[in-house]
Amino acid sequence: MDLNETNLQTLTEFLRKTLDPDPLVRRPAEKFLELVEGNQNYPVLLLTLLEKSQDNVIRVCAAVTFKNYIKRNWRIVEDEPNKISDVDRTTVKANIVNLMLRSPEQIQKQLSDGISIIGREDFPQKWPDLLTEMVTRFQSGDFHIINGVLRTAHSLFKRYRHEFKSNELWLEIKLVLDTFAAPLTELFKATIELCQTHAKDINALKVLFSSLTLITKLFYSLNFQDLPEFFEDNMETWMSNFHNLLTLDNKLLQTDDEEEAGLLEMLKSQICDNAALYAQKYDEEFQPYLPRFVTAIWNLLVSTGQEVKYDLLVSNAIQFLASVCERPHYKNLFEDQNTLTSICEKVIVPNMEFRSADEEAFEDNSEEYIRRDLEGSDIDTRRRAACDLVRGLCKFFEGPVTAIFSGYVNSMLAEYAKNPSMNWKHKDAAIYLVTSLASKAQTQKHGITQANELVNLTEFFVNHIITDLKSPNVNEFPVLKADAIKYVMIFRSQLPKDQLLQAVPLLMAHLQAESAVEHTYAAHALERLFTMRGPNNSTLITPLEMAPFTQDLLISLFKALSLPGSAENEYIMKAIMRSFSLLQEAIVPYIPTLIGELTQKLLIVSKNPSKPHFNHYLFESLCLSIRITCKANPATVGSFEESLFPVFTEILQNDVQEFVPYVFQVMSLLLEIHSSSIPSSYMALFPHLLQPALWERAGNIPPLVRLLQAYLEKGSSTIASSAADKIPGLLGVFQKLIASKANDHQGFYLLNSIIEHMPPESIMQFRKQIFILLFQRLQSSKTTKYIKSFLVFINLYCVKYGAIALQEIFDSIQPKMFGMVLEKVIIPEVQKVSGPVDKKICAVGITKILTECPAMMDTEYTKLWTPLLQALIGFFELPEDDSIPDDEHFIDIEDTPGYQTAFSQLAFAGKKEHDPIGETMGNPKILLAQSLHKLSTACPGRVPSMLTSSLNTEALQFLQGYLQAASVQLV
Amino acid sequence: MPTKNVFDQRISKFKNKGKDPLKLRDKRISDCVELRKAHKIESFLKRRNITLSSLPDEDALTADTASDDEVTPLTIEEIVQHVNSGCNATKTRGCQAARKLLSRERNPPVKKIIDCGLLSFFVAFLSMDDEPTLQFEAAWALTNIASGTSWHTKQVVEHGAVPAFIALLGSPLLHISEQAIWALGNIAGDGPVYRDALIDCHVIPALLARITPDTPVGYLRNLTWTLSNLCRNKNPFPPLSAVQQLLPPLVQLLHLSDKDVLSDACWAISYLTDGSNDRIDVVVKTGIVPQLVTLMGHADVSVVTPALRSVGNIVSGSDVQTQVAIDAGVLTALPTLMRHSKSIVQKEAAWALSNIAAGPCKQIQQLITCGLLPPLVELLRNGDFKTQREAVWAVTNFTSGATVEQVVQLVQTGALEAIINLLQVKDSKTILVILDSINNIFMAAEKLGEIEKLCLLVEELGGLDRFEMLQNHENETVYQAAHNLIEKFFTDDKLEVLTTEATEDEFRFQAADVKKAFEF
Repeated sequence: MDLNETNLQTLTEFLRKTLDPDPLVRRPAEKFLELVEGNQNYPVLLLTLLEKSQDNVIRVCAAVTFKNYIKRNWRIVEDEPNKISDVDRTTVKANIVNLMLRSPEQIQKQLSDGISIIGREDFPQKWPDLLTEMVTRFQSGDFHIINGVLRTAHSLFKRYRHEFKSNELWLEIKLVLDTFAAPLTELFKATIELCQTHAKDINALKVLFSSLTLITKLFYSLNFQDLPEFFEDNMETWMSNFHNLLTLDNKLLQTDDEEEAGLLEMLKSQICDNAALYAQKYDEEFQPYLPRFVTAIWNLLVSTGQEVKYDLLVSNAIQFLASVCERPHYKNLFEDQNTLTSICEKVIVPNMEFRSADEEAFEDNSEEYIRRDLEGSDIDTRRRAACDLVRGLCKFFEGPVTAIFSGYVNSMLAEYAKNPSMNWKHKDAAIYLVTSLASKAQTQKHGITQANELVNLTEFFVNHIITDLKSPNVNEFPVLKADAIKYVMIFRSQLPKDQLLQAVPLLMAHLQAESAVEHTYAAHALERLFTMRGPNNSTLITPLEMAPFTQDLLISLFKALSLPGSAENEYIMKAIMRSFSLLQEAIVPYIPTLIGELTQKLLIVSKNPSKPHFNHYLFESLCLSIRITCKANPATVGSFEESLFPVFTEILQNDVQEFVPYVFQVMSLLLEIHSSSIPSSYMALFPHLLQPALWERAGNIPPLVRLLQAYLEKGSSTIASSAADKIPGLLGVFQKLIASKANDHQGFYLLNSIIEHMPPESIMQFRKQIFILLFQRLQSSKTTKYIKSFLVFINLYCVKYGAIALQEIFDSIQPKMFGMVLEKVIIPEVQKVSGPVDKKICAVGITKILTECPAMMDTEYTKLWTPLLQALIGFFELPEDDSIPDDEHFIDIEDTPGYQTAFSQLAFAGKKEHDPIGETMGNPKILLAQSLHKLSTACPGRVPSMLTSSLNTEALQFLQGYLQAASVQLV
Repeated sequence: MPTKNVFDQRISKFKNKGKDPLKLRDKRISDCVELRKAHKIESFLKRRNITLSSLPDEDALTADTASDDEVTPLTIEEIVQHVNSGCNATKTRGCQAARKLLSRERNPPVKKIIDCGLLSFFVAFLSMDDEPTLQFEAAWALTNIASGTSWHTKQVVEHGAVPAFIALLGSPLLHISEQAIWALGNIAGDGPVYRDALIDCHVIPALLARITPDTPVGYLRNLTWTLSNLCRNKNPFPPLSAVQQLLPPLVQLLHLSDKDVLSDACWAISYLTDGSNDRIDVVVKTGIVPQLVTLMGHADVSVVTPALRSVGNIVSGSDVQTQVAIDAGVLTALPTLMRHSKSIVQKEAAWALSNIAAGPCKQIQQLITCGLLPPLVELLRNGDFKTQREAVWAVTNFTSGATVEQVVQLVQTGALEAIINLLQVKDSKTILVILDSINNIFMAAEKLGEIEKLCLLVEELGGLDRFEMLQNHENETVYQAAHNLIEKFFTDDKLEVLTTEATEDEFRFQAADVKKAFEF
């Protein structure tokens, strides 16, 4: 592609087409550009267009295309072809800085991004003159150009703020400092002087202040990793200017906008960050300046208004004070009673006030409000910063701070009492203040767990909280109601139980409030109260205590789901789930209605699943309904199937991916409840469950395996008789799962169920094949997880089919195979098997091999007899070997599930651990003793001699213990 | 945890590398790029205008020359003329004038004096034993030149001053041999090349010959400083044979009482121990460790600092070497230093502790028994940033090698709370190291079956909030480490049926067993 008019023309045409709204025009043009971008001169053509095109749209479009092209292609990846020719690379680097600086702002930004992408790859080694080229522009005096340089520098250097220290990084920083630090300092001083000269020229000031902000940001990046010698030597210049800027106010720079932060706010906010950086990391050097900054920032806070545009500045400034006040050697800056009082009065209290922006969110954007207020996504808010400052001050001054605030709380409550409808915000602030003062430690599970002992929480609850909850009009002062509910919720572990019980019906009443925040909080508070633990590990609030409210509670909760905006409210659904779980059989009478409502909901949400939490709790609630009802009367399982299967069928037919794994879990739960045979409705579905497409989605695998296990447990004979042709398909699933390191254990679950439940003759012909597959996998890639599952399986096989059958099938695959598996797998690895059931299976299986397998006594395998016994005794007595080989620790699961395939396990669909051996075998150690005794009577003299010749003394002692316990003797 | 790679840099310096990859022992990074001002605490590489202890009074020096204070100083041209003259007295006058110019605090005209060819004269004067004043003035002038930049030192060496100075060491006039010591110290301080060149010219026996019971203490100070410069610098280290020669006199000097002698002797030891375990071994074998530990308690910080540095180097060695320091009482000496008023001392003490904490659990137990945990937690809470960073390493090393019971003790002393608080520091690596410690603590809790209890504690201490915030961290590794902690320990609460919370991340595959098998 030569650099000529025709090519420029063609490129212009295609760029224009990429802006076309019609995809039929746009797509081919985009395709074309991708096709030609590998040609030499392509980037140069784009640069030419963005500079010289007559059409402004094309210029911007070329700039964006150029940036994206750089982003995709500049990096040279090892073993991949270089996508941009060296000539083009050189040309681009030679021209881009100049071009960027000459371009209008829109294009400048794109090119500046381009420079930082290239810089990330090439700077400094392959672009040594970049910095000098940039620095010389500082002298241009043209602040449009200077800001372009500063912006580019910022995007190049900001990674110093988060990258790990390394020699390479520090060498780069050193180089940057050598060329950049001094000119930047000069520029900083010159800019400040210019601000004074142009103090009355708003346009000039705007440009100058954006330069100052960028310079201040650069200072942060360059000083982040360590304190550079240059900045230590020039600290006076920087810090005294920063200090002046913090105290500066210029009417011209004040903006009318209430929301968007202005230049002055952004600059001061960054200065607060810089001061915080120095205070934290370079304390020793910064100490002389710190008191001045504390005073300046403190004055700044006192004089800054309530508008949203100041939020970031205020919260940064408060965070600075919070971090300084808890350091012991600055304690003295705060300890004066007057200072403390005015911090409380002028900084903390005003920033805890409920503002109109909060009010708007409360009314119109309840989800956002809840996220901030309840879930703690309020990191940058003023309230959060004020809370942190309270906590910081309490470290050294808990008593005085509490006393000061108590006074404020009382006066604010008095204000409220004078005229509630005018002054309700005072009470809100009072509650917030009490909360932040009282809470010293908090968890989701228990709410506040440690409280400030100087605050009487119960008294406040009785005098100020419960009164609001009791007010008959739930829709009056919704913010205060929400505050009161939240108070109960977070202080639940601190309040006496009788107060909580008193609150329960009041909270239920608030489920009907119009305010979404209010009824959501009510649901959430109830849910939290129901999870509290009392003595004996049972719930604090008992089903008996809830008995009078059961019906009301259920009705109120479901009614709340019909309030506007709460149709898929996850807090309410979770409260429903928790209520079911708490009330247990008390809900049985209401089940017909409840299941109808839940099914109806399910039908609606399955059209367009959008709230994953809501949906999850919905399925949990369904599971609870089923378990609770069928526990009392298993026969009712049929009626659940009747109401649920139509919806389930629809979900499966429409392949609603989010719900399919849930459906399988609920079906497993239902099928497991059936006492004997499998209903035909399930059998009709069986072939479909084996379809490969279903197994492609990782999220389906665990619930599908479980469902198939339920089929095998309940319907093995039906499968053998009427679906025998599906057995290969079933084993095919096993084969697929076993091939994957991530899913092999699932394959073993399935295989174990097949061995345990299927009639032997139905799988006879497949047995050898199964073992061959297992051995192949063992040989090609064995992992600890695989070996553990493999050991459990072969021992289960041995228990089920006998030790002789196991030995014979091994040796039929390859001579002496049995000995090899014993020697290389069972003996060295059995110690790794974990879990009581798995351990029992292995113990019984190995006992059988030792005592019921003639080949172990009469062939060359005999030499393995004592080592195997030794391993078994070790398995009984030694701690589990949970080591994992080094190379396995960082193993990558080759088929990590993709995004769409989440599997969310339903807790209430949980399955009891299955024990295929059961109690019949008794204590495995006794079983071993008895079996050995039997063996020794069959061939007298041999067993004791084998034991004494090669079993180690310790093991022998243990074994004698078993024999004694079983009251047998070896002969 | 994917944090592994990030530790590589530090891991490569472990004292026990290859023995146990989990034990993080930290050798000082000395060849690393620095952004800060050069270490202020270390003794100077080169010294100008020190006071000679043995300097005769000014009258003695100037006896055979006119009292020069009254005459106007000579110009460089005049100096050249003077040293070229046939008269020794004139030569002496010229040389003295040059020395005075070179002793000027501001901009001594070093370059000019070199350029006009005076150096070869000065070097020649060094051998004029019958003209002691001239000899002395020349030595002084050359010393001042050698104390300048590397280039300056190079000029002095290339004019053949080294053998002449070494010969001067034997001068019967104390002030002349002291001047030679000073000059040689400056040359040795220039770097490993000249240091080894001096060693090859047998400077060591010549220096050691001057140590006698009668050597005045001031003289001894300068001598010790020069010895320390002969021990200084790595890449390469001084030859082992030289070290073997230097150690016995250093051990002797370390038992004297003068604080300057002690300080420089300690610095010498600190240079010799700042290397591989074989280097440390040579020092440990002299049996000096108990004396170094004693000196850690010296009243003067200029002795404490290098003594602590030396012992810190030693405990970064093998377990056996560390044990020697422990047996010598380092653990009883450390608490005072961790509470020292100078933060640099606190930092070095924390660094030493971090290396002891990387040892086997037997040594960790001694650390606990000697009461090192409370001061460690104090440093985590109140130390300056650099000290906190070392203290955090101590916690990580501790938690990766300690027994479960030892980890419990650490947590009970308040370390967990302190490190959680530090998750707000503005340093990615420190954050990562803390997350790794917390992960280690969780693994201990897992063995005790107390994961749930620990989860609650971490949440109460504000840890969970911090982990969540760190999931927004720009550094991918930090983000991942925080995310892993949340995933592993905070999303699968069986008792409260928190498995239900697992959907919080919609796109997550939750095969519990996979997770178990792939973790330690």
